[in-house]
Amino acid sequence: MHALFVVIVLAALAAVGCGRQAVRASEKQFLADQVMTFDDDPHDTSASDHVRTNREGAAGGHGAGGGGCGCN
Amino acid sequence: MRLQLAPLVLVALVASAAAEDRAEVSTSLFAEKREGGKGGLTVIHPQALFGVDLGRFVSLDLDYAADAVSGATQAIYQADAISMATTFKDVRHEGTVGLGFHGRRSRVSFSGTFGTERDYISRSVGGDASIDLPGRNTTVGLAYSHGFDQVCDKDNGMLTPLESKALVGDDNCNKGKVFYGTDTPGTTVWKDLSIDTAQTTLTQNLSPTMNLQIALFGQIQEGFQSNPYRRVKIGTNAPQEHIPDTRARWSLSAHMKKFFPVMKAAAHIEARFYDDTWGVLGGNVELGWSQYFGKNLLIRFYGRIYQQQAATFFKDAFFYETEATAGEYFTGDRELSPVRDVSIGSKLTIITIGEDHPVWGLFDKLQLNVRGDLMFLSVLANDATSENPIGVDKQFIYGGSLIDSVGLSLGLLGNY
Repeated sequence: MHALFVVIVLAALAAVGCGRQAVRASEKQFLADQVMTFDDDPHDTSASDHVRTNREGAAGGHGAGGGGCGCN
Repeated sequence: MRLQLAPLVLVALVASAAAEDRAEVSTSLFAEKREGGKGGLTVIHPQALFGVDLGRFVSLDLDYAADAVSGATQAIYQADAISMATTFKDVRHEGTVGLGFHGRRSRVSFSGTFGTERDYISRSVGGDASIDLPGRNTTVGLAYSHGFDQVCDKDNGMLTPLESKALVGDDNCNKGKVFYGTDTPGTTVWKDLSIDTAQTTLTQNLSPTMNLQIALFGQIQEGFQSNPYRRVKIGTNAPQEHIPDTRARWSLSAHMKKFFPVMKAAAHIEARFYDDTWGVLGGNVELGWSQYFGKNLLIRFYGRIYQQQAATFFKDAFFYETEATAGEYFTGDRELSPVRDVSIGSKLTIITIGEDHPVWGLFDKLQLNVRGDLMFLSVLANDATSENPIGVDKQFIYGGSLIDSVGLSLGLLGNY
């Protein structure tokens, strides 16, 4: 299981490292799409988490909403 | 029955951070197969949310959720638990109020949640904040919540853990002060449980079609965490489950999405690692595909696999019965046993945008969501199978068949 931790860290570092320095505002059409938003349906997420926390011991830590266009 | 709420508090907080003028109603149904001839387990989970902007910079969210739970439960954790299955019913209500403040590149929100059921009272307050860094390709988020819950338990007085009796459905859990439980000496006492949860997220646009989110989560739970109803057969006795008062847990997850413009589709992958001070070590990987069909239909497919190792004090029931506990503590909680589960599902979204006229005369955008999941569960042996003549197949009353549970949900989300 610790291998999964190492893979997550390495993959995240590699992804950030490979990312372009800047995505211009005019290029964010696809990032703004709802399928690119993390947790675009919080009700659905909470219902799923509710089921899982009664079946699995490893609760929490699925991330948060937002992302996509980067336009708070 | 105590329904676990703690992780949901942070979800509620994060949800409030995304507030806009919107209304949402949804209902989900979860049905789990259980052995023992007492029927399955059914959970109906309706939710409703109303969010409104109060001027340019402030938003208000009101959220309500309920759980109606009925079906079979396990009376005693023992090598043959199936023959001891019983039935129960419970209803939980939960309400959340959230207030958000939005700037040009940042937002801060605060929320309070209160939940109540027969034997459990949950209260929490929290806040979260996020900011877009210059260039607006990186968002950093922080969230924190504090829960101060109460759990109804049998009044066991000065009895030792190996003598303690479990709560039963007929015991009176008095909530004379509504927000606080009131002890009934000689019958029940309310025990405290504090839950401190923090999460930080980093969301990064990697390219015009790809983004990434990394989340670091931590939680400390302090107080009564046993299921007050659960008994564990130890030798010839069956005392109430006894688990540690303190649990610290953390997880790290990475979630990446990639959009394919030509196909009007997106792929996502999520991996999560989890660890805690009880020895539960787990992780999951999820893969998904979201496909548009025209402008109004979106279908998502996903699959997820999860596995964990058991808590250090968990033993297969046969060994609790024939040997002894693993130290001071003992449990019959499936969530603390070695488990592997797989789920697959699909979600269909019909999107209606009011281009010239509002949808139904009110909404700028209306979405109907229908979701279905199938879940497969494998209960794994924790101790040596060669020394366990009874095996582990009957120590829980769950999932003897290939598909052990199904989930269905229906939701309507309107932005106005």
